[in-house]
Amino acid sequence: MGGAVTRLAGWLFEPAPRSRVALLRLAVYAFVIVDVLALHTSGWYHGFADPVWYQPLEAGRLLGLPAATVLLVEGLKWGSVGAALVALTGRWPRAAGWAVALTWSWYQYVAFSYGKVDHDRGDFVVALLLLPTVGLAHLGDDRRSQAAGFALRGVQLAAIATYVLSGVAKLRFGGPEWVNSATLLRAVVRRGSPIGELFVQVPWVLHAMQWVLMVAELTAWAIFFLPDRWRRLVVLAWYLFHAVTYATITIAFWPHLVMLLAFLPLERYRDSAVRRWRSRRSTPLTTA
Amino acid sequence: MATRGRQLARTEAGSAAGDADLLTGRGRAWRGLVLAALTAMFVAGSVVGQDAWWPFSPWRMFSTSQAPTGSIFAMAIEVQTAADPAWRRTPITPESVGLNRAEVEGRWGQIGKDPTMLATLAASHARLRPGDPAWVAVRLVRDETVVVDRRPTGEVRETEIARWAAP
Repeated sequence: MGGAVTRLAGWLFEPAPRSRVALLRLAVYAFVIVDVLALHTSGWYHGFADPVWYQPLEAGRLLGLPAATVLLVEGLKWGSVGAALVALTGRWPRAAGWAVALTWSWYQYVAFSYGKVDHDRGDFVVALLLLPTVGLAHLGDDRRSQAAGFALRGVQLAAIATYVLSGVAKLRFGGPEWVNSATLLRAVVRRGSPIGELFVQVPWVLHAMQWVLMVAELTAWAIFFLPDRWRRLVVLAWYLFHAVTYATITIAFWPHLVMLLAFLPLERYRDSAVRRWRSRRSTPLTTA
Repeated sequence: MATRGRQLARTEAGSAAGDADLLTGRGRAWRGLVLAALTAMFVAGSVVGQDAWWPFSPWRMFSTSQAPTGSIFAMAIEVQTAADPAWRRTPITPESVGLNRAEVEGRWGQIGKDPTMLATLAASHARLRPGDPAWVAVRLVRDETVVVDRRPTGEVRETEIARWAAP
């Protein structure tokens, strides 16, 4: 028992380079700006919807959050952008990071409290909560810290939990017969795309994809038991899955795609990219 | 390549034990507690929660079972303007009416009982697209795509759910 707890703690707090967290923060906070301004803007439009459509969620009932107004959605939108810009500089990482967590999450709340909850954004709240806990993390600081390792592990766990829990939800709401239902066909018919139309012509493909998806989701946790290199291949496979999903039903789980970056040695990718760029630049100079 | 990967992994493990910045016992304790609380909420949300539990709501996208033979339903709105008395289909999007299609679909029962809810869509559209012709009538229509053995037959049945016209 004690040994297992020690091993679990060692795994949760396995030190990681601060630069990796700094790079992930760049991706996360840049994403927040793009998301708020361009990708997920239904919250902003809810400022224009009549309050009759407002259906408070539990969090809103607990905190007494009102229906959206144009003033509120503008405040949350530009508050998210402003806080994310500060967070991108790397200064005041805790204050700026938690300000992003608050304004972005509230903005999502506004988007989701009019009758439709998107199911791809809860895990990103975890990333926004955990990234500030690392404190200062410079892009050039490759020293390892347990705080950095824990934040990355937490983001990885949240990202993978969404797969496993999606499988659980299919069993809970669709039942075991989900794998033999026509749910993906329904998705394609309702949200058709040219590529989706191709799948409608070959029904067994969508049927088989349901089996593959269920198995992949329910076994997603196994990624934590794989060696590094295999782990990266599995992440790549998930990225491919999301690309196919986007091609067929034009749905992408954008925040989740950013979170999967927590599995990758970002600082090493950056270093080799910089090295390649420098050598390409220096070659013409030496030959000239 | 694989060998190089293994060497890198060893170096990582080596430095992990050595020069890493460690957290204090307290620092580890509160982080562990936060993670445990988040885990408990997400698991509870998935097992007994509903959408209203967001961000801990169940991850239920495409989780319902659709019968391989049956009907696939989708709602649409159709509108009339003063200059054009024909019903024209218009997408239900946040940019147009401030709401998503699913948000309107989810309230279809209520809209059927109180068609004046469709008037709020015309009002929101006028605020969001002041340059467009105003809608003088709005109706909610349900499309039923008939599917037999995972294949759409091509038949789509239309039913009017509710209708509102400006007085």
